[in-house]
Amino acid sequence: MLAGDRLVMHAVRRNAPWTAILAATAVGGAAAELALPYMAGRTVDAFVVADPAAVRWLAGCAAVVACVVLCESLGMWAGGVTGARAAARLRLGMLRHVLGVGPAVTRRFPEGELVTRAGLNAEEVARAPESVTGALALLVPTAGALVALTLIAPVLTLTLLAGIVLILIVLNTFLRATTTIAGGYQEAQGELAAGLVEALGGARTIAAAGTEDREVLRVLRPLPRLRLHGMRLWRANATAGVRAGLVVPLVEVAVLAVGGFMLAAGDLTVGELYAAARYAVLGAALSGALGPIGGLARARAAAGRMAEVLAVPRTRHGSRALPSGTGAMEFRDVTAAGLTVPRLVIPGGSLTAVVGRSGSGKSLLAALAARMADPDRGTVLLDGIPLPELTGPELRRAVGCAFERPVLVGDTLADAITLGRPTPDDAVLNGGPDGGPDGVLDAVTVAARADGFVRRLPHGYATRTMDAPLSGGERQRLGLARAFAQGERLLVLDDATSSLDTVTEREIGRALADGPGGRTRLVVAHRLATAAQADQVVWLEDGAVRGQGPHRELWRDPAYRAVFQGEEP
Amino acid sequence: MRALLWRALCREPRQLVRICLWSVLEAAPAFLIGLAVARAIEDGFAAGRPEIGLVWLAALGAAWAVAAVAARQIVLAVAAVAEPFRDDLLAHVVGGAVRRAAAASGARQDSAAVTRAGLQVELARDAFAAVVTTVRGFAFTVLSVALGLLTLAPGAAALVLPPFAAGLVLFLASLPLLARRQRAFLLADERLAEAMTAMAGGLRDIVACGAEDRQSARMAAHVDDQASAARALARATAVRTAALGVGGWLPVVLVLAGTPWLLSGGAGAGVVVGALTYVAQSLAPALGGLVHGLGVSGVQLAATLERITAVPPSPPPPVRCRPASAEVRLHEVTFAYGRWSAPVVDGLSLCVPEGEHLAVVGPSGAGKSTLAAMISGLLRPDAGQVLIGGVPADQAEHAARVLVPQEAYVFRGTLRENLAYLLTPPDGRAEGDDRPDGAEPSQSELEAVADALGAADLVAAVGGYDARLDPGALSAGQRQLIALVRAYLSPARLVILDEATCHLDPAAEARVEHAFAARGGTLVVVAHRITSARRAGRILLMDGGRVQAGVHDELVRTASLYADLVGHWQSEPVS
Repeated sequence: MLAGDRLVMHAVRRNAPWTAILAATAVGGAAAELALPYMAGRTVDAFVVADPAAVRWLAGCAAVVACVVLCESLGMWAGGVTGARAAARLRLGMLRHVLGVGPAVTRRFPEGELVTRAGLNAEEVARAPESVTGALALLVPTAGALVALTLIAPVLTLTLLAGIVLILIVLNTFLRATTTIAGGYQEAQGELAAGLVEALGGARTIAAAGTEDREVLRVLRPLPRLRLHGMRLWRANATAGVRAGLVVPLVEVAVLAVGGFMLAAGDLTVGELYAAARYAVLGAALSGALGPIGGLARARAAAGRMAEVLAVPRTRHGSRALPSGTGAMEFRDVTAAGLTVPRLVIPGGSLTAVVGRSGSGKSLLAALAARMADPDRGTVLLDGIPLPELTGPELRRAVGCAFERPVLVGDTLADAITLGRPTPDDAVLNGGPDGGPDGVLDAVTVAARADGFVRRLPHGYATRTMDAPLSGGERQRLGLARAFAQGERLLVLDDATSSLDTVTEREIGRALADGPGGRTRLVVAHRLATAAQADQVVWLEDGAVRGQGPHRELWRDPAYRAVFQGEEP
Repeated sequence: MRALLWRALCREPRQLVRICLWSVLEAAPAFLIGLAVARAIEDGFAAGRPEIGLVWLAALGAAWAVAAVAARQIVLAVAAVAEPFRDDLLAHVVGGAVRRAAAASGARQDSAAVTRAGLQVELARDAFAAVVTTVRGFAFTVLSVALGLLTLAPGAAALVLPPFAAGLVLFLASLPLLARRQRAFLLADERLAEAMTAMAGGLRDIVACGAEDRQSARMAAHVDDQASAARALARATAVRTAALGVGGWLPVVLVLAGTPWLLSGGAGAGVVVGALTYVAQSLAPALGGLVHGLGVSGVQLAATLERITAVPPSPPPPVRCRPASAEVRLHEVTFAYGRWSAPVVDGLSLCVPEGEHLAVVGPSGAGKSTLAAMISGLLRPDAGQVLIGGVPADQAEHAARVLVPQEAYVFRGTLRENLAYLLTPPDGRAEGDDRPDGAEPSQSELEAVADALGAADLVAAVGGYDARLDPGALSAGQRQLIALVRAYLSPARLVILDEATCHLDPAAEARVEHAFAARGGTLVVVAHRITSARRAGRILLMDGGRVQAGVHDELVRTASLYADLVGHWQSEPVS
């Protein structure tokens, strides 16, 4: 069984009670609907001959109608609930898995793709039970109508079968026709969307040239083609509708005519003729059975796409804690995606700068040090313990990361800054009202020079993250504060001060160096000043360590100087 | 929103008439079906005259055939109304997106949101067509059935129509609840999608902070909200379905119960069967169609239209005039991105006389692009004045200056169209010129400029000036080169290059900058590489609100940041 199919089965099984209700209402409703024409026919016949049993038949009809209405309503409800519950479970499972895998998952599945798979696809998989019962609810009357009709008169069944074959032929031609024509429509749509995305990308050029109106016309240029293909689609739809719309009534008329002669010959009662006509119509409902079957196919395809994401292995954490230490790092024979670091020791409490041209592997080195990525081979150790052997919380308590473009996660700025704290304890964090004295929140924002603009915001730390107007530099400072609040032994700063002015950058650097405990700092930087201040510099080139040592010594090499002088080699 | 719908419906009165006329024919079977079945049985088959029965059935068959043709015509007529409606909506969405993007130039654009809007337009069109089709179908069918029943047996009409009306009322009463639940569901779904998008975008940060569990709890809350909105919607849908049961199925029971009464009134069994056929084959499906048409498509249409049309109107464009020269003068200019943010540019005064070549350098986030945007008139300063030749920059005519941003804009069209883009000013288009891209430069002019900027190879590579460009297939450097040639060809006397050469190699960048310096007029270059600064007559160094202007040798000595940027490392700390 494919992983996707297992997912569908699982979705069905986990929801067993509601799925059972759904199935029961579907089958029950279908059976009742099937029984009604026969019973209605018998009622009419009984009344015509003034049979006292007529009242019993009538009561039966009322009961069956009540059953149909109840089953339909209940089925609607059960269908909605099953879908909602299954979707929620599948979705949450996938989101948890994605969180467990970490950023590595976005290398294979872009962000939008993940959202589609956890959103739309989960919804499609969750509809599998409804699709199955829906198909069932349509198959029961179709098959049942054939049986009932045969019981009334086998000749009528032959009439109906001929009609059903016709319907299938019509549907086949219809399905083929639309898929071919829809291509042209989608192409025009795609062109329009591409033009719009282009224009949005060129917004500055367009605004400066003042050509907005011209651009709107240009983007809308495929409209006539879109309409042409659109009308063609409608026409194909309409034509297929004529064929499909004719077959059902013609089947009925044929059954009525054949049955009429049997009535005239005394082989059928009026009630039976009515029942036969209804069964002919019900039997023709097969045409609609293809919809739910298509839904099942979609559910399977969607499940396959979800299973692909679930197949990416989660990041495994160990069970060890860190011994006491100063945050010394060591790389041993590390190889990862084009970066080779045979041996690199970063003394505890030191400031190490990583420099190199773009593409030389600086960010990857930083990611490996913080276990944001695992090496293909080799080991990265913190205070003598390989990173994968640490428990997740222990690792994250020890290592804090700041990025060039930090994404602030959390409802308020306070939440966003303390995201890396194990438990958001208000007393520890805030100390007093509004992050007052001695609070961690206060300390880290001061160290990151973020306290000034946060205080200027109308609600201070309680400002909602999405409402806070932040420049790139302000965002970077909040990202730094977040890392400071978290990493007790090691801070990995990946170009995290690139949007800061030199004075602020220097102040933050000094605050870090002077802070208690003197954490180890690994700083990816482009600026000369950062390298000059570092205890040692790791100079990367084309995925290898080209040099290592104090800036003063490396500076003698013209190739090293060229890294900072912006010249191509 | 109402206006949009109304316009779509009323624009083509001919199509509406066409829809109504064909609807009469399409509803013929609904009128005939019970009558034909009843008469075929009563007067034909049951009376021993099957030929009469066949005639009635043949009439019914013929009515169906005509109805099928009519249905096709109706689909086409509805399409003829729905397609222009789709075009309206698309024009609305595209116009809004382009104008908003241009107005907020510089801000990152969410192209995914635009794609979603495109999808919603398709949904709205389908929903619109569905609503028009079903509401119309329902009205004509109910009318036909009522007429048919009254013709067949007024007594049966009395049994059928009241419960049907009750079901209809019940459904209409449940509609507001349904609409509310649907809306609540759409909103919850959207919030969930936003939360998932945010999570996917912040995955690196969440993992780096070890906040997986906390995030998972947050997501669980969103997922639960959406699921409970879905369940509430399912409950409302169940109520709606019950209304359908009352209107569609109760008449069947009543007709059966009233059979003795109908028979005693002189009607035959065929009449009863005819009445039942009316209910089962015309009335119930029509009600089902209406329930789906209004309950699903109608609610969807309202929700999507609300989303699409909820766009704030853009302010009217300013009146523009021609600056006297290409001199740029800034006086005490201050600009901040938020009300509470520290200013990016703070009290900057500067004069760039016509003909000067100025380079702007500084770390990212120092306000270089903001300055470029203010000189181009895309941003207005919070305080102070930016003047081009004495005219406020945002009121100077477009042709007075040209801005080449980092992200070069190349559109689908020929290379020639792309290069001639700035030759027709948007404010005054030549009369009788309906080409979207206006005047064309002469071939020799094109070739001379392409040669000067080092773009001759590019022209050959894409297949000449009349080759159609696929922007996606061009490299970032090729796109920049096209944008640069375009800017060079423009009539503007003030050229602002905002990291416009960042994807070119240093030699190509030097060639471009030399060519622009020789072009005449004023040149402002926001430098991507520090080497750009050395080619400029004067350098503006920006560093977090602190600004310093000067020539290279002077800045190396006096500004530590500048020394840092050009790679002049002093072993002594400068501060």
